[in-house]
Amino acid sequence: MNNRRGGLARRAHPFTLFAVTGGVAALAFILPAPFGPLALYAVVIALALIAGTPAAVSGAALLCLPLWAMLFLLHAVIGGGERIALGPLVVSRGGIEAAAAQAGRLGAIATASLALFRSFDPSRFLDAVARRGWSFHAAYLFVATLQAAPRLRERAATIVAAQRARGLRYGGGPLRRLRALVPLTLPLVLGMLSEVDERAMALEVRGLAAGVPRTPIAPPADHTADRIVRWAIPIVLALALAWRLTR
Amino acid sequence: MSALTLDHLTFRYAGAEVDALHDISLDIHAGAVTWLLGALGAGSSTLLLVSAGLAPQHTGGTRTGRVVALGTDLGSTPDRAPLAGRIACVTASPLLQLSGVAATVWEEVAFAPANLGWDIERIRRATDAALGRLGVSALAARAPATLSGGELQRVVLASMLVFEPELWLLDEPAAALDRPGRGMLADMLRGEARRGAAIVVASEDADGMARVAERLVVLEHGRIAIDGSPDTLLRGEATWTAGAGGTAFAALARRAATVAQPAPPLLLPPYPLDLSEAITRWT
Repeated sequence: MNNRRGGLARRAHPFTLFAVTGGVAALAFILPAPFGPLALYAVVIALALIAGTPAAVSGAALLCLPLWAMLFLLHAVIGGGERIALGPLVVSRGGIEAAAAQAGRLGAIATASLALFRSFDPSRFLDAVARRGWSFHAAYLFVATLQAAPRLRERAATIVAAQRARGLRYGGGPLRRLRALVPLTLPLVLGMLSEVDERAMALEVRGLAAGVPRTPIAPPADHTADRIVRWAIPIVLALALAWRLTR
Repeated sequence: MSALTLDHLTFRYAGAEVDALHDISLDIHAGAVTWLLGALGAGSSTLLLVSAGLAPQHTGGTRTGRVVALGTDLGSTPDRAPLAGRIACVTASPLLQLSGVAATVWEEVAFAPANLGWDIERIRRATDAALGRLGVSALAARAPATLSGGELQRVVLASMLVFEPELWLLDEPAAALDRPGRGMLADMLRGEARRGAAIVVASEDADGMARVAERLVVLEHGRIAIDGSPDTLLRGEATWTAGAGGTAFAALARRAATVAQPAPPLLLPPYPLDLSEAITRWT
């Protein structure tokens, strides 16, 4: 059995992590604004800290910061309706509630997604899929898509280093940086395309499309707690939806 | 018995103005190492891809002629599942041969047998054995992305060796290997040939292949220029005339012969193949 050491998120069954992230995304829109999404964000932060992914909390906050500022500007500062004083600013009461609700939703979804991404172990996920007898081919494509962004970043860093060694000046003003993107983008795109072909060939040779069910090498343990959480999520969602529709 | 038959094979990449391979007819036999040698662009890598059935399927381009690998006509059989786990193809970029989803070297090597649906005990035995044969057992728990080029190449070879292929197609397998690694590769190729596998190696490493291959096929501009025994061909001028080069000792003798005019007979063919022959001949 594959139970790698690490925080709770790394030890949990991969399907549980996906279920929790999906549940958070759904709850963010079901719970009534503005306090529902804000409370959910607080709960997600606490869960991420307990699960051993504190970097997801700070990372998501940094990611959301410009969007939060934009929401505040659009809804609270520019927005109409009753105005109230907020420190030195006079802002829209309805706007500030709308901005807080959107900010809570964004924060909760971003934190949960980043926690999932940071604790995601491709081989555990693929073994879990293989154990269920689901399509390994489709699961592999899904994992490869998830990993495309970090791969692209690594490759871009390598190309930037290579181009700098050949005299490309990447620093300076925005215009210079924009111009420097051209010799970066072309090799990046062409390299990725040729990489896709070669990787596809290698995977075919290694039996990815062999047409037989894959053997899970070290399937992750599916504990009772994992199953309870996965069952609880749709129940909580259904209850929240029912409460929301009947109140 | 023929493991691979190329019959009047011609291949051209999409948009190219000349054939990458032209009218190639070749029978590759089981239990032997066949070495492809040629200058850059001679067609060795393309020949391997076409033989594996990966070109034109993955590369684009057009192919005429027949390719029969392990009894399967690659032109007439769209379903390639029967060939899964029977052909090993090692391309020149080891990093791109990785699955990209394995957390450890052990899982990387076990990737193919798991895809082939082997039972877990068989996977464990085969994976441990393959890692041991390539001398990378100590790397089993390492993340593949953290390996050096030479380590990575050994892991890639182990990831093919693990499913005991009937046909090996290797493109510059020694490129990233150090001297002990090249020795290990030579042992592996000999061992696989003894097991009965057919092996085709495209390599510029004449010194390494001279004592491993039973047959040398020299390609020139996509055509077969010479086909014979490396032991005979590497001692003469034919491979040099075809622009494919030869061993380091032949290169040394040829260079010395241009300096020392008239060239002393000991610098003329037959050239020595290795150090011990060179010492005997030149001292």
